[in-house]
Amino acid sequence: MTFDGTDFYAALIHELKNSLGLLSMTIDSIPMRGDAVHDEAVDSSRLLCQEVVDRLQQALLVYKAANQPIRPRIDAYSPHDLIDALKARAVFLARGRLHVEAELASDIPAFWFFDRDLIEMAMINAIQNSLAHARSSIRIEASLVEASLALSVRDDSAGYPPHILANVATNTPCHASGTGLGLQFSRLIAQSHDNKNRTGELRLHNDQGAVFCLLLP
Amino acid sequence: MSLPSFIKSNATGIDYAALRALVVDDYPGIRSALRLTLANFGVTKVQLVANAAEAIFQIRNKSFDFILCDFNLGDGRDGQQLLEELRHSNLITLETVFMMVTAESFYEKVVATAELAPDDYMIKPFSAEMLRGRLEGILLRKRAFKAVYQNFLAHDLESAMTACDALIRNEPKYLVDALRFKGELLVTLGRFEEAEALYQQVITLRAVPWARLGLARSLHLQKKDEAAEAELRDVLEKSPEMVAAYDLLSDVCLSKNDTAGAQGALEQGVSISSKTVRRQQKLGEMAHANGDLETARTAFSNALDKGRHSIFITPADVGNLCRVQLEQGDREAAETTLKKNKNTLQSSPEGKLVAAVTHGMVHTRAGKLQEAEKMLDAATELRAAGTRGDAQMMLDMAGVCMASGRFDEADGIVAEVAKNAHDSEALLSKARRIYEEAGRTEAGTGVLASATSGVRKLNNEGVVLAQRGDFKTAIEKLAIACNEAPFNPRIMMNAAWVILKYIDQAGMDDTLIATARSHLAEAERQAPGHARISGLRLQLKDVETRYGVQRTHPQ
Repeated sequence: MTFDGTDFYAALIHELKNSLGLLSMTIDSIPMRGDAVHDEAVDSSRLLCQEVVDRLQQALLVYKAANQPIRPRIDAYSPHDLIDALKARAVFLARGRLHVEAELASDIPAFWFFDRDLIEMAMINAIQNSLAHARSSIRIEASLVEASLALSVRDDSAGYPPHILANVATNTPCHASGTGLGLQFSRLIAQSHDNKNRTGELRLHNDQGAVFCLLLP
Repeated sequence: MSLPSFIKSNATGIDYAALRALVVDDYPGIRSALRLTLANFGVTKVQLVANAAEAIFQIRNKSFDFILCDFNLGDGRDGQQLLEELRHSNLITLETVFMMVTAESFYEKVVATAELAPDDYMIKPFSAEMLRGRLEGILLRKRAFKAVYQNFLAHDLESAMTACDALIRNEPKYLVDALRFKGELLVTLGRFEEAEALYQQVITLRAVPWARLGLARSLHLQKKDEAAEAELRDVLEKSPEMVAAYDLLSDVCLSKNDTAGAQGALEQGVSISSKTVRRQQKLGEMAHANGDLETARTAFSNALDKGRHSIFITPADVGNLCRVQLEQGDREAAETTLKKNKNTLQSSPEGKLVAAVTHGMVHTRAGKLQEAEKMLDAATELRAAGTRGDAQMMLDMAGVCMASGRFDEADGIVAEVAKNAHDSEALLSKARRIYEEAGRTEAGTGVLASATSGVRKLNNEGVVLAQRGDFKTAIEKLAIACNEAPFNPRIMMNAAWVILKYIDQAGMDDTLIATARSHLAEAERQAPGHARISGLRLQLKDVETRYGVQRTHPQ
């Protein structure tokens, strides 16, 4: 009998995704009790589960895109719908523990061209980071910056540590785990979006907390 | 579980409680979890099924507004195949929401045209808010497109286009979607130049692959094949996974008479997505025509394998595989193929004809002439009762007749095929070969000449008369041609064209317009997707509208 590694791998991933989906839906269905010991445990399981989901998606991205650039599937999407969806996810993950705000600048066009799945993946990763570090609130924003769509996540945490700001600013690959890894993916995703000789960017800075910003031309 | 009030707020006026949902997933745990997820935002009318067969059964029996289907359904058909079958058999309309659940964002989701694509994709695992957000987006879009869809479903493409224009002017959010739909309408209506301009307009916004593919298709349909090929090669360099582009590239190569290029394009498409039955069938036919029997055999047997339970598989597919196997001299394999597909073949007269003719060929090659005769008797009986196979199969039957010394019957069959394909060099040369092999080359030349010349003459006379403006006599000539060659797509199209011209000049004639309609339907059956058909449909529609013909449409 021959052993087809690719088929086997595909089947494993299928199973893994199913189990993870079930786990996430199961955690989502655990009711809150108003009892801190219980509720905090449920909250952290939910956030951990989301983190595993993020990592699995990133792992697949690496597997598929190994040694070749990420190929985004660009189409027209509504930035309004995107922000609505992200806010809904953030509110759900925050569970009332933190305040979530969303704001769209008034000059945001009705549609923009981007890969919705990749951008959602990067933004949810940023939201997840902010939820883990914010003191009381996070804010999701869309605006036009330098004729690009700027999608940001702001929080009131202590801000990004200097080495991360330096790494992202200088485009240095960081091999750290956790936060650094997610940011590196977000940077790749942003850079895979190009339009008329302009390339997307990830910009990080601190302004009364951490500010994560994807710029999509 | 309760959701935060933000998520429950329903300012859009969508009545989730009334939404009838069907969940298709092979994993029982996921099915029940999805039921809970849907209940979260008020969708409670939910039917759960495990595979494509169960889904089709449910959809045949009742209507659904929303189908949530996993791409990977274990054995049997996958989600994409299910969707294609549902659309092909008109089991769902544009108003039904179809969402595909996939395990990753990289699966073959770039599909040919809007009609073969789901409304949206969900990447697993997803949360209730994500699903609700996507679903709401689609429902609102379908609401905005209501007038477009209704006119489209009533075959009133002009009004559908007007409705698209209204969206383009007034609904910036749906501008790109409306342009995309309008592009497909323009192509269907045969207005290729306008379609080209529209796709150029989208490309100015952003060179999205579907617009570039639309542009290439519009160019190809205007016979600007060099430009179409250049566009496609460039699209494929940037998005090599875009299987639909290979299909179109193969058509473009074919119209440039580059049969090797056409086969190569299909092979690349198949190497990315091997599950599409129609692509395998096309590759098999192309490779067979190119004399690449090994590739043809693999493709035809893949078509049968992947297409088990598929509505796109017909008895002709079994015939195609056996024909290649016999041409390779592999009689045993042909017998095995027939044995494996025995039950399917015995379930329809067309299947019985394929079985009888192919068995006849097997026996002939094995030198068992008596058994071949028996099979031939069965085939003859089926043919006398009106059963026909495709042209290839009928020529096979003529070959068996010839080998059994039944020359008159063979000549009759060949004449019938030739009349109906008087302009198909491929079929005519295959017919010639049968005569050569039987040592009756001269007789063959005679049969083919008299079969085609009659039809060709009537057709040419009809066309010339019509060009002179004598539509009435042209109709008479072409009516005789139609009688002689009832399955000849070119004759059918010409006959329909002349009738429409006549009505245009002389006024409505109920009998004639019905004839034109049935000619067009036959042409579509014989030459699906022929470039001329959409234009003729448009003229027919135009005549009907002007004379206020009320047509009731199925559904």
